[in-house]
Amino acid sequence: MSDYRRFYRQRSVAPILILFSLFALPVALTIQSGLWEEGAFTIDRVASTFTDSYTRRILFFTLNQALFSTLASLLLGLPGAYILATYSFRGKKLIKTLATIPFVLPSILVVLGFVIFFGNNGSLNTVLMKVFALEEPPLKILYSYGAIILAHTFFNFPIIMSIVSTAWEELDTNLEAAAATLGSSKNKVFRTITFPRLLPAIVTSATLVFLFCFNSFAIILVLGGGPQFTTLEVEIYRQVRMMGNPSGASALAIASMLINGILFLVYSMSQRKLTISESTNPRVFEIRRPSPITKFFIILYTFFTTLFLLGPIASVLIRSFSKTISRSAAPTLSFTWYRQLLGLEASSSHMSSGLSALINSTLIALAVSILTVTLALLLSVSIARRKKNSSFLELFGMMPMMTSSVIIGLGYVLIARYVRLSLLGSYALITLAHTVIAFPFALRTILPKVRSLSETYLYASYTLGSSPRKTFRRIEVPLLRKTLLTAGIFAFALSLGEFNATLILSSSQVVTLPIVMYRLIGSYNFQGACALGSILILASGLTFFLGEVAKGDS
Amino acid sequence: MKKHQFVTVVCILLTIAFPLFSMGSTKEQPLVVYAYDSFSGDWGPGGEILAAFEATYQIPVSIISAGDGLEMLSKAIAEQDRPYADVIVGISDEMASRAYKADLFEPYHSPLLGEIPSFLHFDSQDRLLPFDYGNFAFIVDSEAIPEEYWPKSLADLTQEQFKKKVILIDPRTSSVGLGLLLWTIQVFGEEGYLAWWEVMKEQALTITDGWSSAYGLFTEGEAPLVLSYTTSPVYHYTYENSTRYEALIFDEGHQATIEGVGILRSSKRKEEAKLFVDFLLSEAQLPIALANSMYPTNMNTVLTEAFAYAPKPEISLRIESEVIEAKLDRWLHDWTEVMSR
Repeated sequence: MSDYRRFYRQRSVAPILILFSLFALPVALTIQSGLWEEGAFTIDRVASTFTDSYTRRILFFTLNQALFSTLASLLLGLPGAYILATYSFRGKKLIKTLATIPFVLPSILVVLGFVIFFGNNGSLNTVLMKVFALEEPPLKILYSYGAIILAHTFFNFPIIMSIVSTAWEELDTNLEAAAATLGSSKNKVFRTITFPRLLPAIVTSATLVFLFCFNSFAIILVLGGGPQFTTLEVEIYRQVRMMGNPSGASALAIASMLINGILFLVYSMSQRKLTISESTNPRVFEIRRPSPITKFFIILYTFFTTLFLLGPIASVLIRSFSKTISRSAAPTLSFTWYRQLLGLEASSSHMSSGLSALINSTLIALAVSILTVTLALLLSVSIARRKKNSSFLELFGMMPMMTSSVIIGLGYVLIARYVRLSLLGSYALITLAHTVIAFPFALRTILPKVRSLSETYLYASYTLGSSPRKTFRRIEVPLLRKTLLTAGIFAFALSLGEFNATLILSSSQVVTLPIVMYRLIGSYNFQGACALGSILILASGLTFFLGEVAKGDS
Repeated sequence: MKKHQFVTVVCILLTIAFPLFSMGSTKEQPLVVYAYDSFSGDWGPGGEILAAFEATYQIPVSIISAGDGLEMLSKAIAEQDRPYADVIVGISDEMASRAYKADLFEPYHSPLLGEIPSFLHFDSQDRLLPFDYGNFAFIVDSEAIPEEYWPKSLADLTQEQFKKKVILIDPRTSSVGLGLLLWTIQVFGEEGYLAWWEVMKEQALTITDGWSSAYGLFTEGEAPLVLSYTTSPVYHYTYENSTRYEALIFDEGHQATIEGVGILRSSKRKEEAKLFVDFLLSEAQLPIALANSMYPTNMNTVLTEAFAYAPKPEISLRIESEVIEAKLDRWLHDWTEVMSR
């Protein structure tokens, strides 16, 4: 019997070593570069992040925008959570499906959709100007503090909505009923019974949103502008790429990691509370039909949510097929951007790299998904079949989540300084960085399934004379096939849309879809960016669909 | 099960093979040229010049958009140990000191330097060769602001009527932005320039990282005033036959900029690189001047009538490289300090 334990212990060696060198090494290099100056240890640079007036302002702005983005997301997300948890109505499924969009949509696509939809010349303003016969665009949202908050809210309120509504639906309604019978008012029941039990879900989702906004990069890079609207992550990028100051960037990165670590701790503590609450009489069974007035509000909410979430995406798709000859002329249907992309038509340098970016992105994503799933599977089985140290190993596997992707990119830039890179190396560097970023997500998908797999199957197999290796290959892996597929698809989608680490790492030799999109947005070729964006939407949609199918089967 | 194994094998093979696909295309090692975004971008002269050069010399060239001027320089310095580019186009005189410090470029005493007036030779050692020059200026959208309201000086831009109507560029990341910073230092003095920027922080619609974004915003109609060059209207007249966008001439003078091209010390293809530099200083002068909206450095270049739409400033301002080298870090630090407040 100890035979098979040893087999699984051995499985963990490779992923631990690989993960260690892929994650711990770049982070160690970052820390080293931030703390050592000319061979001597110094805390000054990291400390100056908190004392220097410029970086302190950046830090303050980063926290400030994250806080207000989170509050705005709560404001918009909580009513939705209430509606979803309390009422049954037509379109409920639609909202729930739409709410998953932010999880699959790459951030660069969000930015593009946002500019196309809310910009001075955007879809929303165009429609409003036509309807109300206005001369000037009524909504001037872009390039301000408000734009950043709005974009973050758009990206994040569905996270709050879905996490809180799921928790709300599963609350035991017997307690509320008991309190009501004992004479409590509706108000009091909510305040003393419902809300306290909902709090872990609210805190969990809010911390998650705060974490996302704190590490926000693409949105700030495009919508921010100037030293006033700079976050820590954007400053790290500027330091290393534009000012050629990697050690300054590393010092900022250490500060960012400290704060991220604290936030992550809060998140996992509140999440643990969330999973403990069990339920005997979930609310799902008592869902009400709405009264006419609430019905009106529900329709209003549904309408705006749909507009808010689908509008930008639809605008990207539509704009990719339109061409305007001059500004005053009406746009006409055209495939010119797609033709330029495929190299069928002469175009600017950014557009002509579209096709190679598409090929690069696909191949890198493919490599990433194979690598990630293999590593995550090996680590999962060794965690699940191990008696000692399993939670330590799990934490180790989740560690990349605590570090922002910008910092992982920075770590790889530092690695690149030590090795002479061929073209092959440039590909490898991006692939490995993506693998590190995707790994925790794959682990989180695979590990619970491995744990829920009954070990009796294995014992049966051993009893019948199979070796652990054969059992693993012939019994376990086939049983996990669907989960592995889901995890692989997830990793593929993550890699395809990865922007932050890739931009920092990006060499002139290897470009990916999001990078070309960013360059096109930068030179205001929005239509071209939309054509690339549409391909990304299609790919994200497809992977999402495949993921749902794979989930549904198992 | 068989099918799955097959799919897995195909996937793995593809994965292993994919770097080979791209290696095939680079078999005939081209001359690698870094240029800033707007040179190789949508409006730039890059594509046209490349085709002409390749046709003349049968030397394949790969031109790479490396971000704005300063980003390109940082990139080249960062890559010094494992160089990729042979030639870098577009290091302007105001940021040249950083390149000298890193010992990036090899001197090249091109025979064509004799055809370039001496006031443009900003590098006495010929590490960077001047290929175009111009003056920074604000461009106005004449359809959005009637002529009687146009600003007449940098100070005018701080007026209430231009609130959220000016697009500026970050001097830490862009050579054009750096040009404006130096311009304000010349006009307002070291004591006064920060006060101007402090007001402009609220006045500006946004401060972009590079010229391409700023000018794209401007032509998209997001704001009617943008930082660019006196020669920018030439582009619109030549390629769009439009005089809608006009350069504003300020009596206090305009900051000048000279852009240089250099051959990297690490280049293994110096002979081809020299041919390319010479081409840039001769045949390519007119296309560069037109598409880049700058004046050609070669005296023998005959300009088109479109250049009549580029007003010549009365006073051209310049700061010596040595002064910039000594003070730039402090200026940028103080600027960042004020602008982030």
